[in-house]
Parts: sequence; structure tokens; C-alpha cells
Amino acid sequence: MKTKTNFFFFFLVLFSLLLFSYYTVWVIVLPFVDSDHLLHRYFLPREYSVILPGIAAVVLLLCIGQTFTVVVVWKNRKPKKVD
Amino acid sequence: MTKLLQWLLGVSLLGIIWAVIAFDLLELSVPGTYREVAWSMPLYLLVSFGCYSLATVGYRVATFNDCDEAARELQEQIKEAKEDLRKKGLKI
Repeated sequence: MKTKTNFFFFFLVLFSLLLFSYYTVWVIVLPFVDSDHLLHRYFLPREYSVILPGIAAVVLLLCIGQTFTVVVVWKNRKPKKVD
Repeated sequence: MTKLLQWLLGVSLLGIIWAVIAFDLLELSVPGTYREVAWSMPLYLLVSFGCYSLATVGYRVATFNDCDEAARELQEQIKEAKEDLRKKGLKI
């Protein structure tokens, strides 16, 4: 099981490196490249570089809040106490 | 000066520099593309910090070696503690 979890976490490292490079090129390199260069075909319009991290942040906050709520509700279950 | 004040001072200084460049508050006539890049700097730094933390956590977890001896020692200590508490009347 350890090798499986190892692969997953190495994949996580690789994924974050890819994300970082893509985002760097998108935000910093692309404005300095001429608008008829082929590179622009691989990147979404620049408005999405603000919207997508915003959506990701909202989703992350929702997940954290959901986990927190579920844990609190589970701990407070007292089935024998019925008024 | 406390650390908090130092941090606030540093952050506000960077914030002022960013606002001056991004919104052209001092009419410095910085070229358009530079202003665009400067405007997205805070968000970019946030995203890159998130990526860095993700990569660090992933790397540290992936390269963490098993410590068999420490695991065995811990199990023995747990057994000892349970017996000790049982003797003293605590139900486990």
C-alpha cells in the first residue's frame, strides 16, 4: 500500500508543478507574446485566469465547510435521547 | 517594533507599489502590457503559493520513510499504558 500512496503523492507534486507552469505562462508570458503567435491557441482567454482560481477557491472552502459540518453533526448524534 | 507591525508595514508598502503601477495613480505611463501583468500579481502570487504548498506537502509525504522500530515501541507503550490504567480502575 505504501508504493500506491507514494505514486499518488508524487503525482500530486507533478500536478502542482504543471499547474504552476501553465499558470505562469498564462499570466506572465502570454501578454508579451504577439497575438498571432500559435501559442495563444493552447490558452483560454485571460479573463478565465481570474475566474477559474476563484471557482477553485470557492469549491475548496465549500469542501472544508462540508467536512467540518459533517464531523460536528456526527459527533453530536445522541439517538437515545428523545423528548 | 513588533513583528506584526513589521509585516503590516511591508505588506502595505508592497500594496502601495502595486496599486501605483497597476492603476496608474502617479501617471508614470508604464507600458500597457506591464500594467496588465502587474495587476494580476497578487492573484498570481496566491496561486503560486498554493502550488508550492501542495508540492511541498506531497513531496514530504511521499519521501517519508517507515520507522518500524518506532512503531513497535509505540505499540508496546500503548499496551503498557492500557494495562496500567486498567489496574487503576479505568475501563478501556
